[in-house]
Amino acid sequence: MSESRRRKMRTAVLLLAPAVAVLLGVFVLPMLYILLMSFQNKQEHISLVNYATLVQDPYYLQVLWRTIKLSLLTVLACLVFGYPVAMYMAQASSKMRGIVTFLIIAPHLVSVVIRNFGWVILLGEKGLINNVLMQAGLIDKPLRLMYNELGVVIGLTDSFMVYMVLAIATSMYQIDVSLYKAAGILGAGKLRTFLNVVVPMTLPGMLAGSTLVFSLSMSSFVTLALMGGTSVKVLPVIAYEKIMTELNWQLGASISFLLLFSTVALVTLFTRLVETKRYKEVFSS
Amino acid sequence: MSKSFDVELINVQKKFGTNVVVDDFNLQIEQGECVSFLGPSGCGKTTTLNMIAGFLEPDRGDLLIKGKRMNGTPSNKRDLGMVFQTYSLFPHMTIFENVAYGLKLRKVSKAETKRRVDKVLDLVKLPHVAERYPKQLSGGQRQRIAIARALVTEPTLLLLDEPLSNLDAKLREELREEIKRLQRDIGVTTIFVTHDQEEALYMSNRIVVLDHGKVEQIGTPWDNNRPASEFVHTFIGKSNRLTGVVERVLDHTLELKTDTGISLRAVRRNDCFAAGDKVSIYMRPESIALHVEQRHSAATNVAKGTVKLTSFLGAYSECEIDIGQTVLTVRLQSVEQDGWLSPGMHVYTEWKPEDVFVFARKENGR
Repeated sequence: MSESRRRKMRTAVLLLAPAVAVLLGVFVLPMLYILLMSFQNKQEHISLVNYATLVQDPYYLQVLWRTIKLSLLTVLACLVFGYPVAMYMAQASSKMRGIVTFLIIAPHLVSVVIRNFGWVILLGEKGLINNVLMQAGLIDKPLRLMYNELGVVIGLTDSFMVYMVLAIATSMYQIDVSLYKAAGILGAGKLRTFLNVVVPMTLPGMLAGSTLVFSLSMSSFVTLALMGGTSVKVLPVIAYEKIMTELNWQLGASISFLLLFSTVALVTLFTRLVETKRYKEVFSS
Repeated sequence: MSKSFDVELINVQKKFGTNVVVDDFNLQIEQGECVSFLGPSGCGKTTTLNMIAGFLEPDRGDLLIKGKRMNGTPSNKRDLGMVFQTYSLFPHMTIFENVAYGLKLRKVSKAETKRRVDKVLDLVKLPHVAERYPKQLSGGQRQRIAIARALVTEPTLLLLDEPLSNLDAKLREELREEIKRLQRDIGVTTIFVTHDQEEALYMSNRIVVLDHGKVEQIGTPWDNNRPASEFVHTFIGKSNRLTGVVERVLDHTLELKTDTGISLRAVRRNDCFAAGDKVSIYMRPESIALHVEQRHSAATNVAKGTVKLTSFLGAYSECEIDIGQTVLTVRLQSVEQDGWLSPGMHVYTEWKPEDVFVFARKENGR
């Protein structure tokens, strides 16, 4: 190793050491401990009993499926509602772009708990929406807008759409506007240009946004507890219950690892599906 | 009915806010013609092209393509081909898919699409790149593909928006040659937007010279010898400027005197000068001759000067001659031997009356 490379290495090690030390101490080691714990029975002997419970009891598979389903619905909602916002930002003046960026980030300066209570005021049984609809005579008993899966998806979409919007907008800023003109001249109307040029060119943004929103939704806890109430059980919530109320740390640990594993597996699968040969040809630098 | 044109612009005007960027533009283009819009940036040439393409709507006036009024018709319904300065190939499509895109939108069959794409790729001499992506091609290759993509649909009108500006000098010449050959072979009516006068002269049957949104002159490349305005004369090619006054107006010539006291004669061109008018006097570097000794006794169209600087530029040399308060640039086609002219030498500059261009000087000091 040459002298200059050795010096570079030393700088790198020194710069990274504090962060690595903290991560090792408070993240990697506890994770390893939880992993070990998930392979222990109540008597702290090595055992596969927890994983056997997860596989054999249909309840846990139902919860896993619900966690995945709600996360996918949240990704879908973020795409549907976020894409137009990103499109607006891409063609807006830099001033409007700044204002919109601020507006979509600003709510996140408020704690997620407060924001979810805001939704209660709107969506609750005696909330604003039900009140208005009842007064107008459009319904005769309140609609159930929260404490169910709908409420959870609304809450999660509200929390995570910002990541989707910013990711898509970033890839949209990179499209040369003359491509739209070129498509138009060749005979493509607005819809065709959107489908044949805008959508394929923003795939990297949609993929990045979806990955983020999906992972965040899978592990979301506060919104689930507040917007889903007691009826919508997902993996983070039951892991919490096992550990905090049943004091069954071992089963809670295995649920945590089921969550981690399924998130990583699904994100990898999804990325593989999107990153076709063409995608790599076009978007790799 | 009067003669039909492929493109007609009638009193077209475009404003951005209160700023008039194109004013009272009138032009008729015949089938198969190549017309250049030439002017400095901000002259309105691109705005006009964008109106013809349908990216902008004129505020006033009519735009006709093949005799049909096109105001309000979106770009995708105008049946045009266009080549952009930035190539604008779709990065996520292969070269084949890029070229075939216009045909796909027109629902041309697969076999026919393949046949036409192959043919047009042959035409631009790039038959082997069909399966590649745009980023795997060089700038020159990309622009050829863009030309192929614009031609494959056999459009009524081909629009070229500074297609050579992003290429380096050698490639630019090569490609302009090729575009000209294609244009003449296919006979597609073409509008070529450029700020480069040499490109415009090379490419077009007619040149529209624009300045500040106004058409200064419409004419053939030869018409540049009869410039309609001072702007046209100075924008196309280099020219030496002197200031002076009209001394006498004769039938075919003007007698002038520069502010530095040099007497000149100039051939008259549709002007209406009177004695005493303040004028700008122009002579092109290539129309000034240099002599070591005074050849004629005549004291007009001759000025004594000193060589200040000489530059050898390959096909010709340029030298700067100080004729007293004014420096003339003189272009010499051939210099017999190195060092024939050296700084400090005394020379006589001489020119012909037909090479002197005279324009009225505006009162604001110009």
